[in-house]
Amino acid sequence: MKFGHIFAEAFRAMLANPLRTMLTMLGIIIGIASVVLMLAIGDGIKKFIDKQLAVLGSNLILVQSDTRKSPGARARTGTTQTLTIDDAEAINRLSSVAGAVPVLNTFSQIAYGNTNANAQVQGTTSATFVIRNLRLGAGIGLSEVDVTSASRVAVLGKKIAEELFYKNDPIGQSIRIDNQSFQVIGVLDNEGQSFDMGDVGQIVLVPISTARVSLVRMQTPRSVAYIVAQSKTAEGVNEMVRDIEEVLRDRHRIRADDPDDFRVVNFGEIAKQGEAIGKGLAFALGFIGAVSLVVGGIGIMNIMLVSVTERTREIGIRMAIGARPSDVLWQFLIEAIAICLVSGIVGIAISMGLAAAVNATGMFELTVGVRAILIATLFSGFIGVFFGFYPARRASKLQPVECLRYE
Amino acid sequence: MLTDSTRTQDGNQRALIDVIDVKKSYVTNLVTTPVLHGVNFSMQRGEFVAIMGQSGSGKSTLMNILGCLDTPSGGDYLLDGKQVSALSRAQLAVLRNKTIGFVFQSFNLLKRMTIQDNVALPLIYAGVSRAEARRRASQQLENVGLGEYGQRQPNQLSGGQQQRVAIARALVADPPLVLADEPTGNLDTKTSVEIMSLLTRLNREAKQSIILVTHEPDIAAYASRLVRLKDGLVLYDGPAATGLQQMRSEQSEQELGMPANEVSE
Repeated sequence: MKFGHIFAEAFRAMLANPLRTMLTMLGIIIGIASVVLMLAIGDGIKKFIDKQLAVLGSNLILVQSDTRKSPGARARTGTTQTLTIDDAEAINRLSSVAGAVPVLNTFSQIAYGNTNANAQVQGTTSATFVIRNLRLGAGIGLSEVDVTSASRVAVLGKKIAEELFYKNDPIGQSIRIDNQSFQVIGVLDNEGQSFDMGDVGQIVLVPISTARVSLVRMQTPRSVAYIVAQSKTAEGVNEMVRDIEEVLRDRHRIRADDPDDFRVVNFGEIAKQGEAIGKGLAFALGFIGAVSLVVGGIGIMNIMLVSVTERTREIGIRMAIGARPSDVLWQFLIEAIAICLVSGIVGIAISMGLAAAVNATGMFELTVGVRAILIATLFSGFIGVFFGFYPARRASKLQPVECLRYE
Repeated sequence: MLTDSTRTQDGNQRALIDVIDVKKSYVTNLVTTPVLHGVNFSMQRGEFVAIMGQSGSGKSTLMNILGCLDTPSGGDYLLDGKQVSALSRAQLAVLRNKTIGFVFQSFNLLKRMTIQDNVALPLIYAGVSRAEARRRASQQLENVGLGEYGQRQPNQLSGGQQQRVAIARALVADPPLVLADEPTGNLDTKTSVEIMSLLTRLNREAKQSIILVTHEPDIAAYASRLVRLKDGLVLYDGPAATGLQQMRSEQSEQELGMPANEVSE
């Protein structure tokens, strides 16, 4: 007996009792959908984090000013400016540091001709392009000379450049930031979100010296909002953090038993936390999926046993006219597998629908990959074999004489 | 009417069926119930044999053994020269598929399957391609006069038509033996005559070997030879006409002896 024929019969048997078949399939459908979503969420979070790190640059930390725990009032983090450009340079000189950039931030109105937009303007140094993996779509980046001479030049994010210039070439054009004239020298190619810059497409980069003079008022002239540093290796991040703490405590003359007046934020740690949350969510879904698949599998076994009993006479007739025990075994086994595979396909379709719904919100990207589909299909087939085998074997062991007598 | 068959190739030298001292007992709850006490009988190709017997005579048990649905506990059963008791379940299935065509009392067609697919099923199990199996099934349906019913479902046919479909299914793989177990048990008299005429025609025209199990003397009369069983032994084996005559006289003797009791077979 050929497999195509057995499959055709299996589908006919499934359609003979559609409601029962559908209810039987439900457990497997839910289980497979959960498993596929679990894999999609896992992949989605990994992709999200990879994308973040790609935009941000890897092995980065951020040093923020923090208030000292001195007697009296305690101000909010970042409101006092204890970090300076000189601190950044000192950090830059550390052997464990690949590069360090000081940052000044402001939110300003950007205008070109009649159009204007609001954007985050970040005053920084040329090293920011290296440590953050910033690529230029057109023009050039900030240079050391721009920083030392406080040039009025700006590098625009991709989206803000499009917003202001539409299809015209922005390079060399003059824009106004807070009513002060700047020349556009470059446009970034990067997309996506960064931890401290927000949407990279909406950022405007200017030399930190220019920002300090023209855009940002600080309590002390050399103060910066924060410093971003990159370690030379992924393993060296913690060592770098220790080095930075040491050099800053020394420079700020903090006594041994006093707390730091700065705070180190490890982006890698944040990414890891995100990953852990994602893994937890995926694990929970995977658990629901596994339970659902086992319960669904037991349901299939139950229904197959009922089906074998109901069709005892059919089995007898088939055996009488020449079905071998193995033919009967295959018939019922393939029926169980077919139920599971159809459930698997429905489950995959449902998870794809849910993924599309999540993607439509734009908050998070879920992709049901070929790998997830393959795993789900194999898994549902395996459940069919596992839970279908016993009923099928029971059918194959029936005696034709007794089956034909069965009413 | 039948396609020329392989059964004439090895001629009539070897008997189709040889039952030698076959015993069968059933074991239930450690109690052994003997049903067949040593049945001997053989059958040549082309014969039309009726097997009769009261309930408990071992008629059904012998039928199951002859049909390779069950194996004897003692003695030898040779079907088409093959020693049946030595075969595994799978080998028995293949033997049934190739050698025996079954016709049952309750037709036993598969629901949810077209008439054509029902008839084609033995060929499917024999490994014949679906297209070829369907072609041969249609041909066989023509032969039993149901050519245009191929695409119907079994429940859309009358009892007599269903039984003719069952006969077509029994014949489709061209088996040397047709085993009909009470084929008219669920049919009215007129349809019974039609079915028995069909079987008789098959035997006469195509030299189809047929074993007919029945308890009705009228039906057994269509056969040429009669085997009567009683208490697990062969009571009579000979020409059907003589055997039935003998049965009638036995019955009237019983009626004379016990006029108050209406005993019927």
